[in-house]
Amino acid sequence: MHPSTMPHRFLFAAAILAGLALAGDGLWIKAKAVLAQLLLERAFAQTIATHRDVKPWSWADTWPVARLTVPRLHAAAIVLAGSSGQALAFGPGHVEGTAEAGERGVAVYAAHRDTHFAFLKEVAVGDEIDVTRRDGRTVRFRADAATIVRFDATGIDPSSVRPELVLSTCWPFDALTHGPLRYVLHATIIAEEASSGRIDTSSPPPSSDHQSVDP
Amino acid sequence: MTTCHARCVQPHPPERLLWLHRTVAAILAALAAFFVAVQPGRAVETSPPALQRSGDVGAGSLLIRGDDGVDAEATRLGTDADLVVSGPTIRARITQVFRNPTSAWVEARYVYPLPDGGAVDTLKMIVGGRVIVGDIKERREARAVYEQARDSGRKAALVEQQRPNIFVNSVANIGPGETVLVQIEYQEPVRQSGEEFSLRLPLVVGPRYNPAPLVQSVDLRADGGGWGAATTDPVPDRDRIASPLLDPATHAPVNPTTISVRLQAGFPLKEVKSHHHQVTIESPDAATRVIKLAEGAVPADRDFELTWTSAAAEAPSVGLFREHVGAADYVLAYVTPPAVEPRTPAQPLPREVIFVIDNSGSMGGTSIIQAKASLTYALGRLQPTDRFNVIRFDHTMDQLYPDAVPADAAHLAEARGFVGSLQAAGGTEMVPAMRAALTDRGGDDATGLRQVVFLTDGAIGNEQQLFDTIAQMRGRSRVFMVGIGSAPNTSLMTRAAELGRGAFTHIGAVEQVEERMRGLFAKLENPAVTSLSAKFSDAVADMTPAIVPDLYRGEPLVLAARLDHLSGSLEIKGRIGDRPWRVTLPLKNAAEGAGLSKLWARRKIADAEIARTMRQVSPEDADRTILSLALEHQLVSRLTSLVAVDATPSRPDGAPLKLTELPINLPAGWDYARLMGEQPRAVPQPSPVEQRRADGGRIQLADARRPIVTSPAPGTVKLPQTATDADLKMLLGMALLVIALMATMFNRRRLSPG
Repeated sequence: MHPSTMPHRFLFAAAILAGLALAGDGLWIKAKAVLAQLLLERAFAQTIATHRDVKPWSWADTWPVARLTVPRLHAAAIVLAGSSGQALAFGPGHVEGTAEAGERGVAVYAAHRDTHFAFLKEVAVGDEIDVTRRDGRTVRFRADAATIVRFDATGIDPSSVRPELVLSTCWPFDALTHGPLRYVLHATIIAEEASSGRIDTSSPPPSSDHQSVDP
Repeated sequence: MTTCHARCVQPHPPERLLWLHRTVAAILAALAAFFVAVQPGRAVETSPPALQRSGDVGAGSLLIRGDDGVDAEATRLGTDADLVVSGPTIRARITQVFRNPTSAWVEARYVYPLPDGGAVDTLKMIVGGRVIVGDIKERREARAVYEQARDSGRKAALVEQQRPNIFVNSVANIGPGETVLVQIEYQEPVRQSGEEFSLRLPLVVGPRYNPAPLVQSVDLRADGGGWGAATTDPVPDRDRIASPLLDPATHAPVNPTTISVRLQAGFPLKEVKSHHHQVTIESPDAATRVIKLAEGAVPADRDFELTWTSAAAEAPSVGLFREHVGAADYVLAYVTPPAVEPRTPAQPLPREVIFVIDNSGSMGGTSIIQAKASLTYALGRLQPTDRFNVIRFDHTMDQLYPDAVPADAAHLAEARGFVGSLQAAGGTEMVPAMRAALTDRGGDDATGLRQVVFLTDGAIGNEQQLFDTIAQMRGRSRVFMVGIGSAPNTSLMTRAAELGRGAFTHIGAVEQVEERMRGLFAKLENPAVTSLSAKFSDAVADMTPAIVPDLYRGEPLVLAARLDHLSGSLEIKGRIGDRPWRVTLPLKNAAEGAGLSKLWARRKIADAEIARTMRQVSPEDADRTILSLALEHQLVSRLTSLVAVDATPSRPDGAPLKLTELPINLPAGWDYARLMGEQPRAVPQPSPVEQRRADGGRIQLADARRPIVTSPAPGTVKLPQTATDADLKMLLGMALLVIALMATMFNRRRLSPG
């Protein structure tokens, strides 16, 4: 062997290792997002059954708060409490300080555009979005507008009078890098129904006053 | 790299190695630098969102196309309208005189309105002493015939429908100093409401506001993932419904129009009234009137409206007419259900009324005054048990209350103040306002009356979007349209009210406000006639409307049918309030009428268009139905046009042809300055949302645009970073692997002996 090839060997090996590490890390992010949802699904089912927040794994610092489904797209995801980076790695996060879905005010769920909310670009105005809450009630929303805003100028008024839902993710969808723009899908409540499984008598529907405004 | 290849083929190890070494190192360094650059917080945006370019059509442009060609030496037009009312039908002959005083050969194009229910069946072109009669043809074919004649120097005329109430006449090869007459004829049913019969002859197409296409070539990256470039223009034919508009301050009115009406009502007449024009009325006998404009020609700048009532104490409540064409009999029936007082009059049903008022620029001048007066009157008619809300819109919108509130004194006072302070300006984004009005907070299972009263001139070009919205969202709400101004878009009012299962009324002058709003409120307040059905006892009938809609007080049921033979009777059943009601009309007593087959066909076409909007039938099926009806009955429709071509060429070879778009007047009472100011302000930052469905599917983001937020409001929600590096990492990782592997292989081959 030519002695002068040794540095190149190292260089190539380093490049290959770095490449493997990078690609693997990227794959791991995706895999984590998918795997976590399986565990979360179980934890959320338990949450509904026991009426208590259940951590999906013992060292988790978040817990499932809702199940989000878009029936037309057969898309579903378990929403986690909080929108920290740790929570968002495993599922959509319920942004701190926003209302619970179906209550007065805006419930904001955010998730990564390339994992849990990749389906958001397929959601059309008029689509129905169902949110099953911790108490087992399912609230139905209808997508009625989409906007693109800066993350710090969203125009989302957290104290809106009627129940609204906002799904947010980064924009543009196919960009590779981070940016300040967010895609924001607004949806308005159209119906609320008790869970098909059990009827919860202990907690009356919080927004019933709103529903029965005009008989 | 490529430049290197030729040189590098020769074995030259040290230099070669150095090169490889450097390349790999440079790649690694570049990658490292890239990673530093893309750390969150130091955002490197690939590209800003594509905003509208200034050269584009722009945000909501008005249909005005420069004012060239309106100098003194331009093609001019005169119009004569000759109407004959025979009982239930109106036969109209509109003659347009195209005069070319210039020394050039001219092709003239004139956009004009016709009544919404008008069935255009005849086109004649009169050149010199010759009359050339037009043929009905499929639209594309007609245009091809016209263009071929135009290019070969022959005179030709083409009538095309752009909207159910907007038509365009094109006339080719009008020689220098020449005059060409184009005559069209149409059939229309008389309109009846309560005791009043009426006809309306629109004379000018009010300039329409066309929302900007929301999608403006979103081209984020040259190698973009393939989505983001679709364009959906809410008004694809914006050019074809536009005309140059004359500023009344600087130009004398154009398009002089004469009107004469021969009214043969079929019953002794009491009052005959022209609402917006001075007329002279002669009475040859008790049931006939001849109406002419008092001052000869008037500028075409407002609708002509004529109403008449019966001399009898009670207005005729039933009319039945027949016509035999080909192998079939056609029947037209007017039946006004009796006004029955409810058995328990004390308890009016509580209602939720949502008022929507258009304060866009086209409402400037007298229209906004009429609209405000109407709304103020309407507020006064609310009962304390009612709930209400007020929405105003131009290209933005405001909702007075987040949800409907009780109509108590305090709320009403507040609402009056809100209405009183409205100013007309801005564009006309009607669809979001309609969406807001139809958003029913009561939920899906809510019952009770919910009424939307919508006051507008309807000056928009994206009617279809509005219809789609109503069809989609109407729920339990009923939509009542109030057409404001001198030249409202009647087609929009009619169809919106029909889709919204409500009614519509026109207010053309401040004096009409109280009378018309009282009539509308009588409809709003009184129980409709419901569960209507109609049946022919013997004949096999093709009836329109196929499903009889509910009626409001004083409204007649107007039914047209094609029968295989004329015998037996027509039975109509329904419920008035809570009482059953039934009437039987023996067909043999029907009076002879004219043009009923055309009216029937025209209504069948309108039904097919509605079924298309409601997605009850596929667009292809609806189009097939429309085409066959239009061709069979010789009617102009969305899919068929009339074309007349002179056999002999008149324009010499080589003489150029100049296209002139005939200017129109500003509708009376409109405010030119406000209208011109109607261009909405440039849309701030991030509203352009790209439509992602190339199939044009269900998304109409334009429908759903919200007021745009310009500055971060305090208390606004901040959104977290929501993109992972996964894709980037995988991509870079793979790239690195490929490069390293290639370099390794290259290196090995070079070092291997031989």
